[in-house]
Amino acid sequence: MKNIYLVPLILTIFSLAVIAIALQLDTSPEMIVGDSMQARSFPIFLMILKLILIGILSFQFYKNSPKPIALEKYHTWGSMFLFLLFYLLTVYTDMFIGIFVVIFLMSILWGERRIWVAFLTATITPGLVFLLFDYVLKIRFPRGILMNLYYG
Amino acid sequence: MFEQAISAMASVVVDPYLLGLIFATTILGVIIGVLPGLGATTGAALLLPFTLTMDPVHAIAVLATIYVSATFAGSITAILINTPGTSAAAATTFDGYPLAQKGEAGRALGIAVISSTVGGIFSVLILCFAAPLLARVAYEFRSPEYFALTVFGLSMLASISAGGAVKNLIGGIFGVWLSTIGAERVTGIERFMFGNYELYEGLHFVPIFIGLFAISELLVQSKTVNKIVNTVSMKAVKLPTLEDYKKIWKTILRSCGIGTFIGVLPAEGATVASMIGYSEARRWSKNKKEFGKGSIEGIAGAEAANNAATGGAMVPTMVLGIPGSGTTAIILVGLMVHGLRPGVYLFTEQVEKVYQIFGSMFVANVMFMLMGLYAAKLFARVSLVPTQILWPIVFALSVIGAYAFQGQLLDVWLALIFGVIGFFARRHGFSVAPIAVGLILGEMVETNLQHSLKMFDGAWWMILTQPLALMFLVFAFLGLCGPMIFSWITKQKD
Repeated sequence: MKNIYLVPLILTIFSLAVIAIALQLDTSPEMIVGDSMQARSFPIFLMILKLILIGILSFQFYKNSPKPIALEKYHTWGSMFLFLLFYLLTVYTDMFIGIFVVIFLMSILWGERRIWVAFLTATITPGLVFLLFDYVLKIRFPRGILMNLYYG
Repeated sequence: MFEQAISAMASVVVDPYLLGLIFATTILGVIIGVLPGLGATTGAALLLPFTLTMDPVHAIAVLATIYVSATFAGSITAILINTPGTSAAAATTFDGYPLAQKGEAGRALGIAVISSTVGGIFSVLILCFAAPLLARVAYEFRSPEYFALTVFGLSMLASISAGGAVKNLIGGIFGVWLSTIGAERVTGIERFMFGNYELYEGLHFVPIFIGLFAISELLVQSKTVNKIVNTVSMKAVKLPTLEDYKKIWKTILRSCGIGTFIGVLPAEGATVASMIGYSEARRWSKNKKEFGKGSIEGIAGAEAANNAATGGAMVPTMVLGIPGSGTTAIILVGLMVHGLRPGVYLFTEQVEKVYQIFGSMFVANVMFMLMGLYAAKLFARVSLVPTQILWPIVFALSVIGAYAFQGQLLDVWLALIFGVIGFFARRHGFSVAPIAVGLILGEMVETNLQHSLKMFDGAWWMILTQPLALMFLVFAFLGLCGPMIFSWITKQKD
């Protein structure tokens, strides 16, 4: 199978999975639903519509093969990895530690050669954002190592 | 009503806090518009969480100001560095950059500023008159009409962006499906929650939009790291002369009409308007040969049209709750978050607030004119901020903005997940705007379908017996199948 059909294939699998899950949903008694529709009907209808469109898309791809897409550079994959790192740091340490580390590493990853500039950006940005949200907008941030020190 | 509208609009000018807010937001909007990649939609998505604690009028004024000022500001970099700050300014590069290369960057910027201001103000005036009239028509709407209208809005997704009709519709359906996550509104049955009760009330728009527009853009920008841009040196800001304005006033007026009309159509926005405004300017020009080499008519045609589209796009958003673009989808979310229900009731029960919002848009247009004329050179320098500094800051604003909406970490994870989904969608030619619009319209379409079925005792075909509903469904059919039918007819004739 050609690579061009990978996207339609993934979309088809997704649609079929949604239909399978929707079929497992509870049904409501007739007296509640009345002449309207069950909770599962609308998502199933949507996915059938989507499958038809995927069929048309595949036909379009068959007629005119889309241009191959070049694989992204390490900056993109690295940035996605930093999202994962942010998740881990937020869950196990503190959200602001996560933001600091991600900003610092992302600046370096994207080509910043001056370590002190990356460090200042990573320090000042979360600091200013914290002050704005905490003092002005009165947002309470999730507890972590730093927030426990701050909130007590 | 008229007096109430005028006094509400005038109240903006005597509210120093609101004026200050519009002034600060206009500066921010111009900076956002100047920065390649950031644009009005990403800017509005990032600013939405900041508006949560504001008064509703102030909040929507901030979002609307970002919309109009960033749409204009895209032209600054389009003229100076041949890189449109927003997609709506792409047509401005055709003549703006060549004129700047001739050493007349100030003249090009002046034409762009004046054309944008006239376009913006014209469309706000049309908005003031057209929106209440449309609201009066919409007063007659019941569930079948609303259902048909949302189907029409969804059908227009086919042309919302350059991704191609089928891809856009797939994105739109995905968005509508996302709206089904959570407890079903009539029966309370949990759908696609997988035991996660934070999703009981469904996916909230704010984190999803931050993910789709801001985080996905961050990943797209990561592909352009180390890209070198050519800058034009702007020696002196020599503004356009009276002769220049005499040459372009007809073009500006024509583009005002084109832009406003295209803006009103669901799913058609500033980008399409500027392209048509530019091509019409060329078609009607006596100096066609100048186009592409620095024609001031070309700049005026594109810029007046793209800013005229901003006011036009607010008409279906505020009157019918049908957003026409990513930015208006965010403004619609802003309205809903602040308890301003878009639709007829907004124009009958909250008229004052509506006209204050319109007044704010009017003031924003005047403010960006002053900034554009006197500080464009300064703002252009902002575009030189290195991407390796700018985008990590956008990341911080995105995650904290997503968290601030409800104080839930789940929203942060959703923003990141939808950022990655948005990136892969865009990588394969699917635009994210149809997903956003589908998510907003999804609830409307399902709820109104349910109500219609109850109204007609399950006989769905009775929807077709309602004249307005039938009209919208015919429009939807023509919108989807019209181009195919017309091309088939043309082929048969040939």
